Amino acid sequence: MIEIQHLSKRYGPKLAVDDVSFTVRPGIVTGFLGPNGAGKSTTMRMVMGLDRPTAGTVTINGSPYAKLRDPLRQVGALLEAKAVHTGRSAFNHLLALAATHGIPKSRVDEVIQMTGLETVAKKRVGGFSLGMGQRLGIAVALLGDPQTLILDEPVNGLDPEGVLWVRQLTRYLASQGRTVFLSSHLMSEMAQTADHVVVLGRGRVLADAPIGDILSGASGQRVTVRTPTPDLLMGAIASPDVTVQQTPDGSLSVNGIAAQQIGEAAARAGVVLHELTPVTASLEQAYLELTQDEVEYHSEVAK
Amino acid sequence: MTTATAAAHQAPRTDLDGIHLGFARLVRSEWIKLRTIRSTVWCFAILFLVNIGLPLLVASVGDFSGAAAAPATSGAAGSTAVAVITLGVNLTSLVVAVLGALIITGEYATGMIRSTFTADPRRSGAFFAKALILAVATFVISAASTWIAALVVHPIFAGKGVDFSLGDAQIFMPVLGSSVYVTLLALLAFGIGVLIRTTAGGIAVTLGLLLVVPPILSVIGGLLHADWVTNISTFLPSEAGRQLYAFDGGGAGQGAQSTGSGLVTLDGWQGFGVLGAEVLALGIAAFVLVKRRDA
Repeated sequence: MIEIQHLSKRYGPKLAVDDVSFTVRPGIVTGFLGPNGAGKSTTMRMVMGLDRPTAGTVTINGSPYAKLRDPLRQVGALLEAKAVHTGRSAFNHLLALAATHGIPKSRVDEVIQMTGLETVAKKRVGGFSLGMGQRLGIAVALLGDPQTLILDEPVNGLDPEGVLWVRQLTRYLASQGRTVFLSSHLMSEMAQTADHVVVLGRGRVLADAPIGDILSGASGQRVTVRTPTPDLLMGAIASPDVTVQQTPDGSLSVNGIAAQQIGEAAARAGVVLHELTPVTASLEQAYLELTQDEVEYHSEVAK
Repeated sequence: MTTATAAAHQAPRTDLDGIHLGFARLVRSEWIKLRTIRSTVWCFAILFLVNIGLPLLVASVGDFSGAAAAPATSGAAGSTAVAVITLGVNLTSLVVAVLGALIITGEYATGMIRSTFTADPRRSGAFFAKALILAVATFVISAASTWIAALVVHPIFAGKGVDFSLGDAQIFMPVLGSSVYVTLLALLAFGIGVLIRTTAGGIAVTLGLLLVVPPILSVIGGLLHADWVTNISTFLPSEAGRQLYAFDGGGAGQGAQSTGSGLVTLDGWQGFGVLGAEVLALGIAAFVLVKRRDA
């Protein structure tokens, strides 16, 4: 259980994390979603006691991280892929960290096997690919067989097989009753992994809800309609609740009215329909709607 | 790379119950770290070889007829012996300055420091464990190699008619002092490394303090004919530290003496005190910052 209360972090004039409060509960995978620069990593670093909060508190299982007598046993963290000395081998890196808690060498061998690093464990980390670095970071997180896992962008740089493995691993760990908190800027990944999502934008919590609620809450209903006489149809369904947008391919995107009612209105008005498709919002859309004003770095699409 | 997904499906490790942090464990961890990086191992190897090689070379090929001919009471034999046995310090002081900075800046440069502080979130244990391992390893390797040098130089000098006894405090103390000096220097560099956090910066500042500042002060002191400038330079780490391995002909030891010329001189123990105080002050500043700064 991770409890974050009124957490803020200021870097000079910039408020990177702005009065953030939420709770990460055991037994489920909690996703931490947000655009680059939203403050996800900063929040996670404050949870781990690496950055000092400007204001607010974080507790893990009821106490601040720095107060834990057995931090690696309580919390396993992947904060960035290569928080590793490049001149040391993966095996020795794990061995040195295990030594701080008296974790036996057999556990080091075990996490190397679990993360599929057997063949490269004796090689220096400097030569590792991003994916291998991620695997090593996950091996470090698993070292103390912790009750809580904090993984910052764990699938970043992994091949498809690795992505699948992280997805299964995190779901499995949560099913054992552990607290699993992972961040990503990839909504598609979250949709397949997380049970609960906290969305962050410009340092503020935009949403904190089960993934189903986030999906259904987005956009209400949207219906794609295709007709040779768009003006007639717009007249037939016009109402203050309904918005109609003309898309570049000639179809209409209708909000605020169900497909069934559009069809009935069209029949009454004698409008011919070529297509009538209800569209469910994807997490991607939900996410974009939540964050569209909160993105730090907008990319201008050339017109 | 096949990932055994099944391997993850293991029961929680009950044998890990009850494990926890401890200072002895942090020391063990720092020892593993020290011996698993090539650059630090190389620094120690160079330290060891230079400490033996230089005295051996100079003792073998040098002409010491002057010291051999001088009367036994002049101290010439002892002075020469100490100078030759501790000859390596001129080089090894630079090696340990690099080593001391590298051991911590290497962690900051690579991001390793975050792993270190995640394992020991209070940071003080890791800080002191690292300083302790650095100090012990530097002292043991320096002392071992210096005493091997002393044992090798002794018979060579005897063959050339230069007689001295290693058990004599005048010889024993500076030979031991040379290892104390490089150990303190390694800790000084470590403190600077913690403050500066970049390898290039840490090494540059430390070597600058050892190599660049003394001659500049000496030039300024000479040009201004100002004793106070020269007196400042007496308290620099390299100058104060030099007294730890200087042959003391006897008669000194009256405290920081202002000789008739107005220049302050330090004896061996005072040099140790000054350098020790500088290391301590820097260490406290470094410790406070380590606790406070974001990693």
